[in-house]
Amino acid sequence: MGRYVIRRLLQALLTLGVALFLLHYMMALSVQIRGNPALLFFGGKRTPDPAMLAQVERLYGLDNKCYERPGDPCLTPFVERLQDYASGDFGTTLSGNRDVGELLAVYIPNTLRLFMFSTVTLVILAMLLGTWAARHRGRVIDHSVRGTTILIDSVPVFLILLAYTYIIAVPLTQWARGIWGSESFMGQLFRPNYSPDYPWTTMIVPGIILGTVGLATLTRLVRASQLENLGSDFVRTAKAKGLKKARITVVHVVRNSMIPIITGIGYLFAFMLSGAVLTEGVMGIPGMGRMIFQGVQRQEVNLVIVGLTVSAVVVVLVSLAVDLLYAALDPRIRYE
Amino acid sequence: MAENLRVVGDTLPGADLNAPLLEVEDLRVEFKVRGKRIPTVRGVSFTLEQGKTLAIVGESGSGKSVTSQAVMGILDSPPGYVTGGEVRLRGVDLLAQDEESRRTVRANHIAIVFQDALSALNPLWSVGFQIGELFRVHRGTSRADAKRRAIELLDQVGIPDAKNRVGHYPHQFSGGMRQRVMIAMALALDPEVLIADEPTTALDVTVQAQIMRLLKQIQDERNMGLILITHDLGVVADVADDVAVMYAGEIVERASIHDAFKRPAHPYTKALLRAIPRVDTVGRELEVIPGLPPNPAALPSGCPFHPRCWAVDPERCATEAPPYEEVTDDHRSLCHFAKEVYRDER
Amino acid sequence: MSELTAPKAQPDAPQASLWKDAFRTMARRPDVIFATLILLFVFTMAAFPTLFTDKDPTYCIGRDARQRPDTWFAGEHPLGTDGFGCDFAATVVHGTRPTIVLALTVMILAVIIGLVLGILAGYYGGWLDALISRALDVFIVLPMLLGAILLLSLFRNGGSSGGLLSTVGPPVIALTVFGWMEFCRYTRAATIETKNLDYVTAAKCLGAKDRRIMFRHILPNAIVPVTAVIPTTIGGIIVTESALAVLGIGVQPPATSWGVLLAKGTEWAGGGYIYLFGIPLLLLIGTVFAFATFGDALRDALDPKLR
Repeated sequence: MGRYVIRRLLQALLTLGVALFLLHYMMALSVQIRGNPALLFFGGKRTPDPAMLAQVERLYGLDNKCYERPGDPCLTPFVERLQDYASGDFGTTLSGNRDVGELLAVYIPNTLRLFMFSTVTLVILAMLLGTWAARHRGRVIDHSVRGTTILIDSVPVFLILLAYTYIIAVPLTQWARGIWGSESFMGQLFRPNYSPDYPWTTMIVPGIILGTVGLATLTRLVRASQLENLGSDFVRTAKAKGLKKARITVVHVVRNSMIPIITGIGYLFAFMLSGAVLTEGVMGIPGMGRMIFQGVQRQEVNLVIVGLTVSAVVVVLVSLAVDLLYAALDPRIRYE
Repeated sequence: MAENLRVVGDTLPGADLNAPLLEVEDLRVEFKVRGKRIPTVRGVSFTLEQGKTLAIVGESGSGKSVTSQAVMGILDSPPGYVTGGEVRLRGVDLLAQDEESRRTVRANHIAIVFQDALSALNPLWSVGFQIGELFRVHRGTSRADAKRRAIELLDQVGIPDAKNRVGHYPHQFSGGMRQRVMIAMALALDPEVLIADEPTTALDVTVQAQIMRLLKQIQDERNMGLILITHDLGVVADVADDVAVMYAGEIVERASIHDAFKRPAHPYTKALLRAIPRVDTVGRELEVIPGLPPNPAALPSGCPFHPRCWAVDPERCATEAPPYEEVTDDHRSLCHFAKEVYRDER
Repeated sequence: MSELTAPKAQPDAPQASLWKDAFRTMARRPDVIFATLILLFVFTMAAFPTLFTDKDPTYCIGRDARQRPDTWFAGEHPLGTDGFGCDFAATVVHGTRPTIVLALTVMILAVIIGLVLGILAGYYGGWLDALISRALDVFIVLPMLLGAILLLSLFRNGGSSGGLLSTVGPPVIALTVFGWMEFCRYTRAATIETKNLDYVTAAKCLGAKDRRIMFRHILPNAIVPVTAVIPTTIGGIIVTESALAVLGIGVQPPATSWGVLLAKGTEWAGGGYIYLFGIPLLLLIGTVFAFATFGDALRDALDPKLR
C-alpha cells in the first residue's frame, strides 16, 4: 500500500508539473507569435512610450528576452512563475488592478459550494436511476431511464441555464414571491442570478442544473456495474450462504459497484469544471468559472492561465483521491 | 467442536429423522428466454442417504448445475423457474416453504461448493470475513469469535498458517487453497448435505486429487450426504456410492458406482465410460461420442439421445420417449433397449 | 459455470459477424431508426442547403427585421426574420454546414491521432508507451472546453476572411488538441489485449512485419471500442463548439454556426423573440440527442454483454 501511494503521488506531481509547463509554453508561444499582451494595458493607444512599456512588461514578467524568440520554452520565466505561485503571488488583473490571489480566496470556496450541490445531485440521481434501470433490465423502465438521461445530457448545461434565466426564472420568481414573500427561501431560490446576500439559496438551482452534466454516463455506469455484480458468482455464493437480500445488497453488491462509479465521478469532475465556466458566467456567480469567463471576454490571458492552473491542480488532486479510494476499496490493487 | 455449534437453526421444523436425508422427486426447471420456455431440467428424481455420496454426471448443458441450484433455491429468476416437483429434506418439502425458511436451510442444512472459487468468493473481503459472516448472520456470533472459528475451519481444511491466512484476500491464494476456503465456508454451519458443483474442474490434476480426498475425509468425519456434480466419470470412481447420469435435463441412468462402471445399461453411460483414458486401454484409440449435446430449446423427438446413439431403432427411438427400465434392483435406465445394453448385446 | 461452450472460430470471422450482428441489432430498434432519420435530415441540410431554402442568408432587408414566424413554415419568411431582417430559415439552414463540418473534422483528426498514438503505445510498450501515457495524463488534466478556451483566447485574431477554413479552422485545431485522449486510451487498451492473443503471436512467429501485424490484426480490434464512442463524441463536439461561440471565441461571424445563432439568440430571447433562440436550440438538442442515442445503441450492439 505504501509503495502504491508513493508511486501514485510522484506520478501526480509529474503530471501536474508537465501540465503547468504546457500552459506556460502555450502562453509563451502566443506572446512570441502574436506580440506583447502588455500592449493591451494601454488600451487603444497603439504606440506607448517604450519606458512605460518596459515597466509594464516587468510588472507582468514579460521582460525576458526569450519572449522574442519563437519556439523558446522560456524556462526561466516558468520557474519564476512557479515560485510566484508558491508564494501566493498570482499577479493582478489588468482592469481594476486587483490581486488575483485575493480573488481566488473568494472564488474557490464559491465554486466548491456550487460543486457540492452538483455532485450530490449527480450522484443521487445516477445511483437511483441506475439501480432502478438495472432492476428492470430490458423492460420499459430501463429504456425510459436510458432515453431520459440521454436527452437531459444532450442539452448543454449552459443552454439549460440560458433558457432558465431568460425564460423561466423571472415568472417563477414572481410567482414564488407572491406566495411566500421576497425575503423567504422560496422567494430567493428561483432567482435568475446569484446574490451574495443569499450565498447558499441562490446557488441551489445552478448547482442542480450543473449536476446534470454526465448524468447519462454515470447512470449507465451504475446500471452496468450493478448488473455485473448482481449476476456475479460471488452474489450466488452469498445467496447460497443464506444471507438476507438486504445484506447481500449492502455487503456484496454496493461496495463492489462503488469502484467503477467512483472512477466515473472523478472523470466527470473535469467536465463539471468546464460546465462551471458557463454556469458561473451566466448566473453571475463569483467563482473560478466566472473568472475564466471574464478573462476570455476581457482578453486577460493571465486570468485564464491562473484559472486553468487551479483547475489542473483540482483535477490532479481528484484523480489522486479516486485512485487512493480505489486502493482502499479493492485489495487487489492494494497488494499489487 | 462440531457438537457445541449445534445450537440454533439445527433442527428443521417438521423434520422426520426416519425419512431419507434428501429426496428429489420429479424436479422440473424451465428457463424463460425472450418469451420462450426452455425446459432445462425435465423430471429429475433421486435420493441421498446420510453418509452416502451421489455423483451426478453429465456433459455441459445437461442440467446438472441447474438441478443443484434448484435444490439450493438459488436459481436466478428470471430466467430460471422451478415449475414442478418436490425437494424433501428429512421429509420436509423445501419447495413448499416460504423464502425466509428456505434461507435458513441454506448453509445450515444444505451447503454448496462452486467450481470457480476465484469468482465465487467476493474479491473485496478477506476470506476470514466471508467465512465468519456465516456465524455472525446465522448464529449472532461476535466478530472476534467468528474470526476464531474461521481460523479453526481453515485449519481443518488443511490451510497451513491459518492464523495469518484468515486476513488474506481471495486473490492471494492459489487455486487449490482457494477451493479449500470454499469448502471451509460450506462446512461452517455443519450442514447435513454438501453439494460440490464441479469442485475440481478448474484445478491442476495433482491438486484435484487432494481436494477430492479432502471432501471424502470431511464427509466421513461428519457423516454428511455428499452430492458430487461432475462431467468426468473418472473423478468419481473411488469416491461415489451411487451415480446418476444426466442427459438433456433427465437422469438417463441411475445405479451404484459398481454397476455403472461394470455393466452400464444406457448407451450414453457406455459411451462416457469408453471415453475415459485407462491403463488397460493404452495403445487403443479413445472413443468419442459423435455429435454435440442437444440444444435444450429444440430437443430431438422421442429419445433425446437417439441422434448420437448406435443402438437406434429408427421407428421407436425417434418417436417414442423411452420409459425407465429397471434392469436390476436400484439400477434403472431410460432406454428402450436398457436390458439389451445391460446384457451387452447392443 | 461454463455450461455453454461455443467452438472457437477463426480470428477474422468474428470481426465480420460482430459488425453484421451490431448492424442487425441496431436496425431493429425504433429509437435508433428515429435517431438515424434525424441525422439524415441534418446531414442533408449540411450537404444541400438549397433543398431547404431558396433565400440567401446574407440578403437582409432592414425594414423586414424581427418578423415573427406567424405563418409557420409558409409564406415569405417561414421562420420569420432576425434582428437585421435576414430570413431566419435560410440562416439556420446555412449555419448547419459549418457546424457539421467542424464536428466531423475534429472527430476524424482526433480519431487518427488517437489510433496512431494508441497503437504505437500499446504495441511497442517501453519508453514510447510511458511517454504517450504521461502525455495522456497531462492532456486529461485539461478538459476539452477549458483547453480550447485557452488556445483560442491566446491565439485570437481580429476578423476572418469569411472562408470556411479560416472561420472553422481555429476551433477545429483547439478542439482536436484536447479531444484525442479518449480514442487513444481505448486504442491502447485494445492493442495491449490483442497483442497477446494467440493468433497475433503466431503471426509474429511466422515473421510478419510489425506494420502488417498492426494493420491486419490489431487495428480491426482496436477500431471496435473507438467506433462505439464516436457518435457520442460528435455530439460532445457540437455542444462544446456552441459553448465557445457563446463565449465569443468559436466560429467567427460573419460565418454562422448553431453556436453563433444561439449566442445571438440569447440577446433576443429575453425581449420576446424566443424563436431566435428556440429554433437553433431545438435543432442542436435534436442532433446531439440523435448522436447520443445512436452512440448508446452502438455501444450496446458492440458490447452485447450488458444489454
